[in-house]
Amino acid sequence: MKAYILKKLLLLVPMLFGITFITFTFTKALPGDPVYTLVGERTSPEIIEKVRARIGEDKGILHQYFGYISLLLKGEMGRSYYTNRDVMDDLIQKFPNTLRLAAGAMIIATPFGVLLGFICAIKKNSASDKIISGLSLTGLSVPVFWSGLVLMLLFSLKLNLLPPSGTGNIRYLILPSITLALPALATLVRVTRVSVLDVLNMPFIRTAKSKGIRKTHLNSIHILKNALIPVITVFGLEFGSYLNGAVLTETIFGWDGIGRFAMEGIIKRDYPVIMGCILAGTIIFVMINLLVDIFYHVIDPRVRVHGTDR
Amino acid sequence: MGLTGKLASGILVFIFALSVFSSFISPHEPDMINLDRIKQPPSTEHFLGTDNKGRDIFSRVLYGGKISISISVLAAMLSMVLGLLIGMVSGYFGGKLDTAMMSAVDLVLAFPALLLAIGVSVLFPPGIYTVMIALAAAGWASFARLIRGHVMALRESAFIESARAVGCSTTRILFVHLLPQCVPLAFIMAGLKLGGYILTEAALSFLGLGAQPPTATWGSMISANRVFINSAPWMVLPPGIMIAITALCFNLLGDDLREIFDRVKIEP
Repeated sequence: MKAYILKKLLLLVPMLFGITFITFTFTKALPGDPVYTLVGERTSPEIIEKVRARIGEDKGILHQYFGYISLLLKGEMGRSYYTNRDVMDDLIQKFPNTLRLAAGAMIIATPFGVLLGFICAIKKNSASDKIISGLSLTGLSVPVFWSGLVLMLLFSLKLNLLPPSGTGNIRYLILPSITLALPALATLVRVTRVSVLDVLNMPFIRTAKSKGIRKTHLNSIHILKNALIPVITVFGLEFGSYLNGAVLTETIFGWDGIGRFAMEGIIKRDYPVIMGCILAGTIIFVMINLLVDIFYHVIDPRVRVHGTDR
Repeated sequence: MGLTGKLASGILVFIFALSVFSSFISPHEPDMINLDRIKQPPSTEHFLGTDNKGRDIFSRVLYGGKISISISVLAAMLSMVLGLLIGMVSGYFGGKLDTAMMSAVDLVLAFPALLLAIGVSVLFPPGIYTVMIALAAAGWASFARLIRGHVMALRESAFIESARAVGCSTTRILFVHLLPQCVPLAFIMAGLKLGGYILTEAALSFLGLGAQPPTATWGSMISANRVFINSAPWMVLPPGIMIAITALCFNLLGDDLREIFDRVKIEP
């Protein structure tokens, strides 16, 4: 187990090098010059050269790349071309906001998703199953940025219940969390439904039923506990969709997180910001997957037996 | 095919027809600015009202659909071709090449699709082709993985062995004997994934990485008009509803396709 975790963590190092190298060379090959976007086209050549030297654009690509790597090794990520703020500081400052948003979405999506999926499975092909399944497919088909706008229109602009945008206390968090939760909730309903249906077909459920076990006991201990294993895997994979959704949701609701930070960096061609966000995103993603892996080992004895063989 | 599948394909055919014949159906020029008629609510003259530059929303939704759907379908085809090539080569030759290609597949599959597509689309100037490349770059991997498994199972089958025995070249085996066996599977997969392509395309245009103004796409219409959501909701609601309906129909169709898919697929 420890060896497995270590291996995964060590794999992260070449992966990050690869990702920095690819994004770095490609972003440099881009049409468009960050110096011109920074100072405008009509600035005098001396100032342009000065700015170019300040952001290090006057040197060759390889030189810049190794400069960036040595900066990373020192634990820094450079400064934004625009705000001249340290990218690492900004990321550290904005990360908790994105985490709050993702946590909010998870708190909404997980219990409802599992519960609704469970209801669908035990009442398979009933009207409630069909309605919930249909709604969950619809939830997967509605674009996040649009459902966010519709929620904003209803709850903040028409009903005046919640603030339409900004970063702040829980009142600001509700709408973006619901928006971000919708597709995840829909996926969880579908996965839980299939997973519970699988468990229902197992022989041990028939045995349990014939022993006359109370229904609540059967549902909670026998069915749900076994059905949750694949659900947890999906729960981890869904984190990717939270990162996806965060870019869109944060942009709509003006939430000051990593998603919006990345988007602004991309639009302004602010390379240190783009690179920093890509690196942070990769690290977070790999870490979450690793946590899910570990958790999987903890809850499912079958995986644990296999795991020791590795 | 169930009733819902039939209904979904019927609606999709209707939406396709609307986009293909958009130039005949649309009552106004989609990009024509008319400052006398800005932000008008829906009326008989403008079914879905006008935007802040007086352009007819209905016409823009029709033209936007044409672009959004074509980009998504073409990107799916591009991913399919890439996935077929890589998957067939990887599955047929095996060995180190296979290991290397499958690690690349794993890496791409592990990364959230939209982030990957955003990452790729910043590498090129924004536009229709950039979106296609970005979508294909994020989408090829699942095709490659599927086709590789299929080819690995077929590689040892009698007809391939006979082809090798009569002295067919490797290219001939790959493209004449194996390719026809893989194409139907790849098409079904493309059908399964199209709903996702529609949504990712919409998200990229929403973020301004897609077709540039004044060209309308469903995503960019929402993005450009979202500041007016309170005063003129008709500017924002229709394109979103169209994205949702199209993606929903593809997903419903996908549920039916999955059953066919499970029958066609062979595991190695």
